[in-house]
Amino acid sequence: MPTRQVRNNIRKLRFGNNEMTQEELAEKTGVTRQTINAIESAKYSPSLELAFKIALVFGVPLEEVFTYTVEDNQAETKEKLT
Amino acid sequence: MSSREKQNNVVLVCLSFILTYFLVNWVRIYRTEGLNSEAIFRLWWTVMIAAIILIIVGIIATMIGSNIVHAIKTGKEDPQTSVEDERDKLFELRGEYASSIVFSLGVVLSMLTYVLGQPPLIMFSLITFFGILSGIAGSIYQLVLYRKGV
Repeated sequence: MPTRQVRNNIRKLRFGNNEMTQEELAEKTGVTRQTINAIESAKYSPSLELAFKIALVFGVPLEEVFTYTVEDNQAETKEKLT
Repeated sequence: MSSREKQNNVVLVCLSFILTYFLVNWVRIYRTEGLNSEAIFRLWWTVMIAAIILIIVGIIATMIGSNIVHAIKTGKEDPQTSVEDERDKLFELRGEYASSIVFSLGVVLSMLTYVLGQPPLIMFSLITFFGILSGIAGSIYQLVLYRKGV
């Protein structure tokens, strides 16, 4: 059965914005650097409010920062085997 | 490591130390005086006061220490020492949930000993034991969440 996961482009967007550091983004959104790091590495899914705040910092729509992608486990396994 | 994680580590170390102290002294009292209510209540008070003081002092010392280290490394004050964000709150909530489960099970188990005919002091000591253990369980669960993520 395909599973879904929240993916993000924060890392790419940070580097596109004058190589913004995680600490700078954390300060602008009012969270800790560790939380930004956890979101970036998909270890934590942020609240809707924090997601909007992050999008607001980069000046892009929410869907450009976060995507809800389908992860087909079977396809992934096949890919790994080949 | 965030400041909340550091605080969690401090709480875990303090509670582990307190639990060991409680167990060692309880066994000592049991061997020398038997189930002496006065000695066990004195131990309970000592453990409670020591836990409160150790945790408060430990957290303050850790915060001061990490601020000093940060200031030496970067030359400026750490802006994130007092920041508690949604992730911290979520993990704290889950940790408290784990704590309450352990404590509830402990209380039931303690009451069961009373039902099975053990003296009330055994029940009281077990409730104290599970109270400290629940704090440890909550801290460990929070640390796991910080490491593993959700």
